[in-house]
Amino acid sequence: MTRSLAFEAFRYSAILLALAVTLIPILWMASMAFKPVAEWQATGANLTWIPDDPTLDNFRFLFGESNSNLIVALDRTAGKPILSSLLSATFGTILAMTAGTAAAYGLSRFGSGANLPLALIQLRLFPPMAVMIPVMMMWAFLGLMDTWWGLALVYGIVTLPFAFWLMKTFFDEMPKEIEEAALVEGCSRWRVFIRVTLPMMAAPLAAASLFVFILNWSDYLIALLLTTREWVTIPVYMASLSSSMTGQLYGAKAALGLIAAVPPVILGIVIQKHLVRGLTFGALKQ
Amino acid sequence: MTIAEVQPLSKLKPARDDGARLGFRLTLPAQLLVLFIAVFPLLMQLYISLTDWSPLSGASWPQAWQFWNSFANYSDLISDNRLWSALGRTLFIIAICVPIEFLLGLGLATLFVDDFPGKRVAYSILIAPMMVVPAVAGYMFFMLFQSGGPVNDILSWFTPDPVAIAWLSDRHLALVAVMVTDIWQWTPLMFLILLAGLVGVPSDQLKAAALLGASPWQRFRTIVIPRMKTIIIIALAIRVIECFKIFDTLFIMTGGGPGVATETISVYIYKVTTNDLIWGYVAAIALAILIVLSIGAVWAMKRLAR
Repeated sequence: MTRSLAFEAFRYSAILLALAVTLIPILWMASMAFKPVAEWQATGANLTWIPDDPTLDNFRFLFGESNSNLIVALDRTAGKPILSSLLSATFGTILAMTAGTAAAYGLSRFGSGANLPLALIQLRLFPPMAVMIPVMMMWAFLGLMDTWWGLALVYGIVTLPFAFWLMKTFFDEMPKEIEEAALVEGCSRWRVFIRVTLPMMAAPLAAASLFVFILNWSDYLIALLLTTREWVTIPVYMASLSSSMTGQLYGAKAALGLIAAVPPVILGIVIQKHLVRGLTFGALKQ
Repeated sequence: MTIAEVQPLSKLKPARDDGARLGFRLTLPAQLLVLFIAVFPLLMQLYISLTDWSPLSGASWPQAWQFWNSFANYSDLISDNRLWSALGRTLFIIAICVPIEFLLGLGLATLFVDDFPGKRVAYSILIAPMMVVPAVAGYMFFMLFQSGGPVNDILSWFTPDPVAIAWLSDRHLALVAVMVTDIWQWTPLMFLILLAGLVGVPSDQLKAAALLGASPWQRFRTIVIPRMKTIIIIALAIRVIECFKIFDTLFIMTGGGPGVATETISVYIYKVTTNDLIWGYVAAIALAILIVLSIGAVWAMKRLAR
């Protein structure tokens, strides 16, 4: 089909505009992360799109180095919140993937747990805010408040629907012949699952794990309610980066935002082939 | 028939029962987790919602019956204007954002059906926003919408005088800023899902229709839309559900303010939970929302099944 020049021009300008709108906010934050204090809030004619005087001071400041241009010092560095985010998201992912993969296999092969698909969709439907009161009461009772493991437990449950549905569609698509052959060879069903099925599913498992990790890493609300000081995660800690004397610590926040934003964007691009499946609970494939 | 051939077959029978047992064991952890986070907390929620209990009331929650007030929380809820306007605001945000995200996503997706140089890179960039941590996206747009920030700077290129709009402290503009953020972050989701659908529309049918003289709009309406129906419903359903929960970006940008100008359901519940600490009442609100959503979901699923 031949298309008119005007159409091609329209198409390219539309795509370029979309790219610009997509990138400007991200680039603005990236630029802010490297700005010295003097440029943080420069406005009007002094507003800089690219730092005049790029510096790594904001990153150093986050990890405890004092900044001669700032009268405040951090009472705690960004190190522990980053560790907290990493631990809670990683272990939440392991929990969701373990329980989700096992249940998905059980349903896909043996028809067990027929109530799970709907129950898990409903779990996803509810706003987390609407179930947090009892969770906070339980967590306080169990001594899980303000710990990364308590957070990981909630993350594991909150992302279980995604792990389950993704793995279920992968198992449903997998040909059963190889498993049947192994069964005839005399393997137990459990051994078939561990030794035959899971190794064959290594790539889907990795993609699903990364997807679940991104979701866990993205949380803000749950950590806001369940952590208070010791184990706050990156987004919660980020909000504390302001002081009554200096106002918002723009550059430091942007530097931390960049640290938080880059890993999931890269991981997401790595698994982009599976994103549609993940986001639609396996209803659609790419 | 030799014995060697018969044996594996006879082994297969008990193996099937084996399967049921293994299936039960494999699904057990997930079942327990659902029970742990859904069933048990809901019962707790129901119990607390019938009382006037708060974490400051001095008694631990199992003793909440001391503050029993039966359905008073539920009747308070009906006359809670702040709750109803938060609900209305949430629905308003959904009604504006989701259609815009859908149309923008669909428009972009149609541009990406055919190949063009640089398509892969453009695609990867366009889907990036939805991978940005929402709290970080909220902070990005908080910076962008400062009165000395880049949004006003860009607007100033087109106006004679420098623009200095205080976006986030104006009642109406704050809502606009919050919705712009949501559209920036979630249009990519629509784009991604709808593009996956568009690619699945058979191109030979489109070509045949074009040869028969169907206009692009006719082709779109008679071939593309019917094939995309399920996908469109799924995409819209996901966005409506997620948009109803909107919290992270909005809370970081405005905290629900100025005043209550951007207070949505989640922000309202959050504030009542952490500032006012009237947990019995919050439990009642939360439970009412859960019940309404469940009824809505069951109704929607029944209609979809038909």
